[in-house]
Formats: sequence, C-alpha cells, structure tokens
Amino acid sequence: MIELAHVSKRFGDEAAVDDISLHVPKGKFCALVGTSGCGKSTTLRMINRLIEHSEGDIILDGQAIEAYDPVKLRRRIGYVIQHTGLFPHWTVARNIGLVPRLLKWSAAEVQARVEELMNLLGLSEGEFGHKYPHQLSGGQAQRVGVARALAADPDILLMDEPFGALDPITREKLQDELARIQAKMHKTVVFVTHDMDEALKLADHLVVMRAGRIVQQGSPLALLQHPIDPFVESLLGGLERGLKQASLTRVKDHMTSMGQALPAQSRIPADFSLRQALSMMLRDHCDRLTVVDSHDVPVGELSLRRIIKEAQLDKGSVRE
Amino acid sequence: MNNSLSAAPSRKQAPLWLWPLLWGALLLISVVAMAAAEPLFRWIEPDARQVVYARADFYVLLGRHLLVVSVAAVVTILLGVLAGVLVTRQRGGDFLPLVAQLASLGQTFPPVAVLALAVPALGFGTLPIIVALILYGLLPIVRNTLTGLQGVDSDIKTAAHAMGMTPMQTLRQVELPLAAPVILAGVRTSVTINIATAALGATVGASNLGDPIIAGIVNGNMAYVVQGALTIALLALSVDSLFEVLQRQLRSHLSS
Repeated sequence: MIELAHVSKRFGDEAAVDDISLHVPKGKFCALVGTSGCGKSTTLRMINRLIEHSEGDIILDGQAIEAYDPVKLRRRIGYVIQHTGLFPHWTVARNIGLVPRLLKWSAAEVQARVEELMNLLGLSEGEFGHKYPHQLSGGQAQRVGVARALAADPDILLMDEPFGALDPITREKLQDELARIQAKMHKTVVFVTHDMDEALKLADHLVVMRAGRIVQQGSPLALLQHPIDPFVESLLGGLERGLKQASLTRVKDHMTSMGQALPAQSRIPADFSLRQALSMMLRDHCDRLTVVDSHDVPVGELSLRRIIKEAQLDKGSVRE
Repeated sequence: MNNSLSAAPSRKQAPLWLWPLLWGALLLISVVAMAAAEPLFRWIEPDARQVVYARADFYVLLGRHLLVVSVAAVVTILLGVLAGVLVTRQRGGDFLPLVAQLASLGQTFPPVAVLALAVPALGFGTLPIIVALILYGLLPIVRNTLTGLQGVDSDIKTAAHAMGMTPMQTLRQVELPLAAPVILAGVRTSVTINIATAALGATVGASNLGDPIIAGIVNGNMAYVVQGALTIALLALSVDSLFEVLQRQLRSHLSS
C-alpha cells in the first residue's frame, strides 16, 4: 500500500509537485497522467527516494519512507524506465538477476528466478539469456527491463513511461502482457504515462496531474463520465470520450439472452469491448450482433438500442 | 593493418599478437646483439674510437628504463583514475574544474623544467625522473577517466541507483567497466609518451636507454645516439602494440 499525504517537492522556489494526496491500495494499478513537466515522474521518484520530498508524508506499508534505509527500500521496489537502463556490458540473464544478487540469493536461486521471469515475459532462456542488450529489439529490451524490475518479487512496481519509446504495435503487445502479469501477480503499481489510452486500458485508478497538482482522480469510467474541467476532458479525448468509455466495457456485461427473432448474421466474442461491437455494426450496416463464446457458440445478442440505453443508465448512476 | 569499415568481412584482420611479437622480437634482438651491427655503425661514424655503446649492456639499460616507466605508470594510473573518480562523485563535483586544470598544467610544464626543479629537492638519480614522468603522464589518464565516466549513459546510472546498488557497487560494477576502454586509451597514450620522455633521466644520472643518446651528444658520436633512439623506439612500438591487443580484447569482451 502506498499513501501520499500533502506531499510537495520544491526545487528552489519552484514547486515541481504541489500538495498532492494519493492512496494506492495493495494490488491496485494507479496511472499518473498529464502533459510533460506536470510533476508525474517526480512524484514517482519520490516513492523510491530517488528524489527526497520536501513536505508531507509518504507512507509505505504503514511506515514513513524516511524510516527505511534508501538502498534497502529500492531493492524491494521494482522500477522500470523508458530507455530500459539495462547494463550494456552484462548479458540479459545477468541483468535480470541484478537485484536478487544484490540481496545475496544463492546462484541456483538466481538462475531459477531468471528462467521463471524470462518464461513469464515470453523470452526463451536458451535464445536470449546470453545475448547482450544491444542485440535486442526495443520490445525485447523492455521485456528484460520489466523482468529485472520483477526479479526479487517486489510488492511495489514503479513504471516511468515504460512503453513510451516503442512502436504502436509493440507497445500494445507489451501493455496486454503487463495487464496479464498484473492479473496474475497483483502488484501495487504506480505507472506514469502521457498516453491516456494506455492509462485507461491498464489502470484501476486514474490520476490526472497538471502543473504539479492533482486535477482529478478516480476510476477510469468515473473520469470518462464526469470530467471535472475542460482540461481533463480534452486529455480524455474530447468528443472521442464516448468511444473510449465503450472500449472499457465488455460485450458480455451488456448482452441480452437470445431473442425470438432470427439470430443476427454478424458474430462477436463475448469478451470483446463495446467499442469493437459498435465498429462491427458500422462496418456490417446492422444494429444487432450475435454474441458467441470462445468456442463460437452463440450465447446471447447485443443491440444498438441496448448499448445506448445502458450508456444513459450509467450516466445517471455512476458518481465519483 | 586495415581497420576500415569497407574491408570485406571475409578478409581476416592481422593475427592478434602479430605486432607485439614482431616489435618485441626486434627489440630483443637489438638489445642482445647490438654489437653484431658494428660494421653498420662504423659506417655512420668511421673515425670514432668505439662505435657501439659499451659502458653498460643494453638489456640492463632496457631493464632500468622499463622499471622507471612502470613505477611512474602505476603511480600515474592510481592517482589519475582516483582523481577522475573522486571529482565525478556528487561530493567531489566542486573540484572537477580544478583537477582538470591541474592535470593539463602538468602536461604544459616541460619535463626538462620539472627535472631542473626536482633535482635540488630530490637529488640526482631515478627519483626526479619518476616525478617528472608522473606529472607529465597524468593528464591523458585524468582526462580520459573523466570522459569515460561522464560518458556513461545517465539512464544506466539511474537504473543502477534505482535497483538499490550502492554508489560503490555502481562504480565498480557499472561505471568503471563501461569507462574502461576510454581509460585504457588514456593509459596507452600516457605510457607511450613516457617511454620516450624517460630518456631525459640520463641527464640527471638515472641510467637508462637515454644514456647512449646523451653520451653520443656529449662525445659527438652519432652511432650512440642512433642505438639509444632505435631501442627506445622499438620499446615504445612493442608496448603500444601490446595496448592495442588489450584494447581489442576489452572491446570484444564488452560487445560480443
């Protein structure tokens, strides 16, 4: 669990971070979003004491961070940065095993852990273990970066625009993988990004920052439905907000049981998003879809009317 | 040797140890069998009473020369790298410009002048020449240590810090290995220059390969000068090519 209470960071007279309060419960994924220079990276770096905060309290697992030895503190917090910061003179396997070795694990334990993590991130040990970072693609290098951060099984993971330098396809793949890992491991994650789609896709809790302050925080859906001001609204995509909201909603949560009428021609898997459903309706010029399960067996249907009605209901019921 | 990028990959580079072995062999032959070349030197100095320097054996002079250069090199490397490391630490940052200036001052100060100043303080012999070599050889090492350490990508240093490495661990496991090729290049320059500079020691009574040169100048015997200069040049070439091998091995180790 991470708790920030009235935290500020001043460089000289200027406040990089100004009186922010934030609560990240254990196992939750919190995304800090904002334009560059808004203080989101500074906030992140105060949590593992790369930067010392000037005012307020930062509490990890019930203890103020000043009470921890900074070196020991950092060894129990995973950290991933945009350009990976992998050691170019070390092999992939050695890079991943860094923190376990700092913690004096035995060679066999380190080896086993490295193999486990490489499997988890889809890097075969035989193929990549002995390679050097400059022999990897951007996506592979960042997988190694994530593996290194997870190596000593930290409860907390800090990620500073980890996928910002990757091409869109690789980025999306790694986002999916991070979501899959998070669903399995339930780390407490603080994730900095300027990409709102990325934040909406991954976060349980969304924090929008501007000029060192928190403008609004809440669940992604809550922010999409009730942005507090035009700045948040524009960050959330302005007119595209409806579609972004639809992309966060699963088809299976809105389908109805099969009606009397003939099943619709177009089929959509139940775990697709409403956004994909809407797109399919536009493409196929229809207002009804047959929902199928993973074995392509029809389990229900979804109509355009139903989607619009649900959206109206949501608008009335959800409050931050 | 052709190191250019245009060389076809199939064309083999010269064998790693070719040049150090070649220069080393020539050096060995010249110090052991200088007397055998007497006819050649006789041709240079037809009228001299003696044409091969004989006051000391050449291999003895070579040994003393190497000793002086090695002692100076060890001290210079220790001092230079230590100074470079200290001023690139957070606490030593204030001294960075000072150290950089002092080191370049050491090189602008001619070694002859250092000798002239050192002899009254330290007496004749080996000590003043070692001091002169240390001052003269410091700049390339300090400068390259600074360049090498400052050239380590800040993301890499941030990552090391954030993973929970102590400053000492970061220095030894990350910064120094990554800066090593640049530091080694500085050591190479420093040592090679000092092999030649050490010959000045002969003027203050430090007997080494400079002896034949000085004796040759004093007695107007060009053959002596050639013998001293030839041996020093071969020594410098041997050591320099040895560094080349070291650097190549370090590079392939870092990026293979």
